[in-house]
Amino acid sequence: MRRFFSNRRLVIIIVCVIICIALMNLSVVIRNKRSTPPLIQQFGNDIVGFADRVVALPVNGLQGTAEAISGLLNTYQENEKLKSQVEKLTQTQVRDETLSRENKQLKKELSLNSSLTDYSAVTAAVISRTPSSWQSQVIINKGQASGIKKNMPVLSGAGLVGRISEVNKTNSKVELISDNNDSANRFAIQITNGSGQTVNGVISEYDKEANRIVMGNVTSKTKLKKGDKVITSGLGGVTPKGLYVGTVETAGDDDYGLASKVVIKPAGDLSNLNIVTVAVAKE
Amino acid sequence: MLRLSKLRYGFPIGLFLFFFLDGSLSKVFSNQMFSYPYTMVSYLVVLWLVCAAFFEGTIAIPLIPWAIAMGVIFDLYYTGIFGIFIAIFPLIIMLTRTLIRALPQTFLMNLLIFFIDITVVATLSYIGNSIIHQASLTASEFLLYSLAPTLAYNLAMFVILYFPIQALYGRLR
Repeated sequence: MRRFFSNRRLVIIIVCVIICIALMNLSVVIRNKRSTPPLIQQFGNDIVGFADRVVALPVNGLQGTAEAISGLLNTYQENEKLKSQVEKLTQTQVRDETLSRENKQLKKELSLNSSLTDYSAVTAAVISRTPSSWQSQVIINKGQASGIKKNMPVLSGAGLVGRISEVNKTNSKVELISDNNDSANRFAIQITNGSGQTVNGVISEYDKEANRIVMGNVTSKTKLKKGDKVITSGLGGVTPKGLYVGTVETAGDDDYGLASKVVIKPAGDLSNLNIVTVAVAKE
Repeated sequence: MLRLSKLRYGFPIGLFLFFFLDGSLSKVFSNQMFSYPYTMVSYLVVLWLVCAAFFEGTIAIPLIPWAIAMGVIFDLYYTGIFGIFIAIFPLIIMLTRTLIRALPQTFLMNLLIFFIDITVVATLSYIGNSIIHQASLTASEFLLYSLAPTLAYNLAMFVILYFPIQALYGRLR
């Protein structure tokens, strides 16, 4: 033991530990402060990302095949259910088109070029996931080249699932709302109840055990019911307005009885991420 | 001599394959591996590095430089936080080589060495992430919810892959 911790070795070990801790803190500071990582890091990530696609493609293909087989087994029931939904959807679509045209005309009258609800959707495939207990983070195959910027919201299927935490040229990392990191799920959201009143707030935590989003510190006295729709409010940052987050499950007092706490059932499915959509806000 | 062996291609290809499989398996089996509160972390890249130390024999692969390079890539590509795995991977190689010298080379002893390696990797990654406030578990929660499932998964992988990798090294030598 004495030989192992000889003087010179001890000094080297301590210097290494100090360097590592300094590097860790530096990278956290850089990640929090800058909108893009240093060029050399981007370059490295891009190259590794390309190589990853070679491995990820067959593995994801296998997953796709397995899902296709299990999907085939309950096709009939799903088909029945979807048929009824399609009819409703066509109506909504036509109405949506009319409304958006009307909206465009009205904006023109007001000479308003873009508002909070304007965004374009960039579809990306998930390449892989960080193997770590501490980070819920996935890597997607679109980056700066497709107009993605840091902190943009990411949607999967129906609803919000996370935000962009790092952008490289051709791939980026997405922190899911279930991540431990404090800033991962702070989205400004808005709940509209049956009588048209709105409650604004910020997502305060993610309940991993029940898979629920929690909006805490709500002081508004507006009554909220189960099933009220939750959308992003577009206040602050690069999140556009009107992205679907989920529906209200319960609304009641928080643990201390001072403010109320709204529990939201997320619409996005965190457990099955293959294709995600990044909402790119228009400048 | 690595220069004359087929391992000079086989080792890096396997290393990168296992590195990318870590991410891909975590993605495909994310429901099973990250079902709250348990988290299994795939360390196949550590498995490959440790197996290289077991089977290299007289070839002497420069494992420590490779481990540092892999640590850099792991940090940059997967976690985005620099400085954790760049230190852990070479440390694991040194630890494994010390233990190989101390213990007889049998399957069970190698399993024991790998058990120690994974424990060290998971614990150091927990300590590192605690320093920068990324990990919020307490030590006992870490043992129960993170370390135990991680060990179970990685040891199972070791048992499955040990003999195939040994055979592969026999052929590439």
